[in-house]
Amino acid sequence: MAIKVENLSYSYEQPFGEKVGALKNVSFSIKAGDFAGVMGHTGCGKTTLLQLLAGLRLPTGGRVYVNGEEINAKGYDRSGLRQRIGVVFQYPEYQLFATTVEKDVAFGLKHSGLSRQEVIARVQWALETMGFDFAKVRNQSPLALSGGEKRRVAIAGVLARKPEILIFDEPVAGLDPHGRENFLRFVKEMNQAGTTIIMASHNMEALAGYTKHLLVLEEGRLIDSGATREVFLRLQQRNNWAFGQTKAQRIATLLAEGNLALSPAVVTYDDLLSALKRELTGGGKG
Amino acid sequence: MKTLPAGQYIPGHSFLHQLDARTKILCLFLLIATVIGALSLWSYALVLAVIALLILVSRLPVRPAVAPVRGIYRFLLIVFLMNALFFGGEEVLASWGIFQLSREGIRQGFRVVGNVLLILILGNLLTMTTLPTQVTTALESLIKPLKFIGVPTEDVAIIISIAIQFIPTLVEETELIKMAQIARGARFESKKLLERAASFIPLVVPVFISAFRRADELALAMEARGYRNAKNRTRRKKEPLAPHDYCALAVCAFICLVQFLLLRNLV
Ligand SMILES: Nc1ncnc2c1ncn2[C@@H]1O[C@H](COP(=O)(O)OP(=O)(O)OP(=O)(O)O)[C@@H](O)[C@H]1O
Ligand SMILES: [Mg+2]
Repeated sequence: MAIKVENLSYSYEQPFGEKVGALKNVSFSIKAGDFAGVMGHTGCGKTTLLQLLAGLRLPTGGRVYVNGEEINAKGYDRSGLRQRIGVVFQYPEYQLFATTVEKDVAFGLKHSGLSRQEVIARVQWALETMGFDFAKVRNQSPLALSGGEKRRVAIAGVLARKPEILIFDEPVAGLDPHGRENFLRFVKEMNQAGTTIIMASHNMEALAGYTKHLLVLEEGRLIDSGATREVFLRLQQRNNWAFGQTKAQRIATLLAEGNLALSPAVVTYDDLLSALKRELTGGGKG
Repeated sequence: MKTLPAGQYIPGHSFLHQLDARTKILCLFLLIATVIGALSLWSYALVLAVIALLILVSRLPVRPAVAPVRGIYRFLLIVFLMNALFFGGEEVLASWGIFQLSREGIRQGFRVVGNVLLILILGNLLTMTTLPTQVTTALESLIKPLKFIGVPTEDVAIIISIAIQFIPTLVEETELIKMAQIARGARFESKKLLERAASFIPLVVPVFISAFRRADELALAMEARGYRNAKNRTRRKKEPLAPHDYCALAVCAFICLVQFLLLRNLV
């Protein structure tokens, strides 16, 4: 499913009738099957943007189109949209409430029209996809699980609806490095299986290593967008944007300062590794 | 569009802002007494005039100041109906089974709803012109006499102020969780009463859990920052009330007296 956004704006109302512009005139499009990242400093409007894309807030200006249809138009089938867009909020573990893991994951399927058997099969699939042993976990209380497990249960609850677009808000915050890699690999697999992914994150490595395209927000404005690698290289040119750099980029910069300029330009650890290999083997031969 | 939690502090330098928080709390109680004792339309007119004057003096924007009116009209409608239908009385206008609509019932309904609204707006004016910390300190010093009968007054004051400060956070949290549940297919707008009530479980349970979690974290943080108990904390120097505080108190006491002695039995 493709998403297109035109001149999207959103302001939060404050006391005194003062408005806080959280998004200002943002336009972009995301193709079906894409893996798009949203990047920017804290408070730049990432969460607001994701909520608007999912049709959870009404924009104060501009339009959001999903598959060419405007989602905030009168008569648009919102519950159908919710079925097709899954949202994993920041700290999704806080939305758990049911008495058992199985019931919590099945919650989103209540109005889906699936039979009991189908619901159980879906729940099993979703939990197993998130790495659980279904038989073991199904009757446990979700609130008695560890933080990381809770998060996986919450994500399973979103997956169970088989959304065509998956939106993640800061999904790797609070995960250990191992859990982070596992999670990102899993998201990548979902994407390869055809799900469109939109992911907001502060984690440069996650954005650089996994997304195909990037949207960069600054104070509510879209200041850059395009293929991930190009965006990272462009941000490197902006001297005031120290934020938009991966660790590999910083290492490459340090190496360049020490007279070891690597080419082509480095963005990810993989780039760094292969550039170094080329440098060393090339140096050995020459 | 998100609605703001009512009663948020708005900085300013108006007369109302400058009054001592203790004065404002005492005045609030006097005016609440005035409202609760009101029987005649004259009393209500008086209170309305006082509120209008206070909003003018405080230079607060009108809309947020009367915000509680917007938020809870459904609740008020129910309160009104309960009163109107169950109050009984002599002049029965209509009746369905156990429900009786009487003139007294309708009057009572208006009275209760009016009282709730006026008290909310008055309370709102207090919290919009007074910092939460000032409210705490003031409460603390106002309930100090209770110390002699063994009430841990400082702790009580802190509990009250924490509760007040938690409200905006909880409102925001509730909104986020509601959004998260809607995103995964929750429906809050079912027409059937039972279904509707059940649909709130996915909202209420996480909000409660999160409130307890926050309380727990706060308790840990307070302890980590050295909060033991009220007894060993350093005392603040007592500030005397200023002349304008005494004036404000006198005016409110006067309004209260006028209401109880003169207006109460006017028709
Ligand atoms: N509920 C709200 N009421 C008022 N203002 C808000 C609200 N939520 C966000 N804002 C403001 O809108 C702006 C954008 O917030 P948003 O949460 O979208 O940022 P973000 O990029 O997701 O930040 P973070 O990286 O910290 O999650 C911020 O300036 C914030 O102060
Ligand atoms: Mg955010």
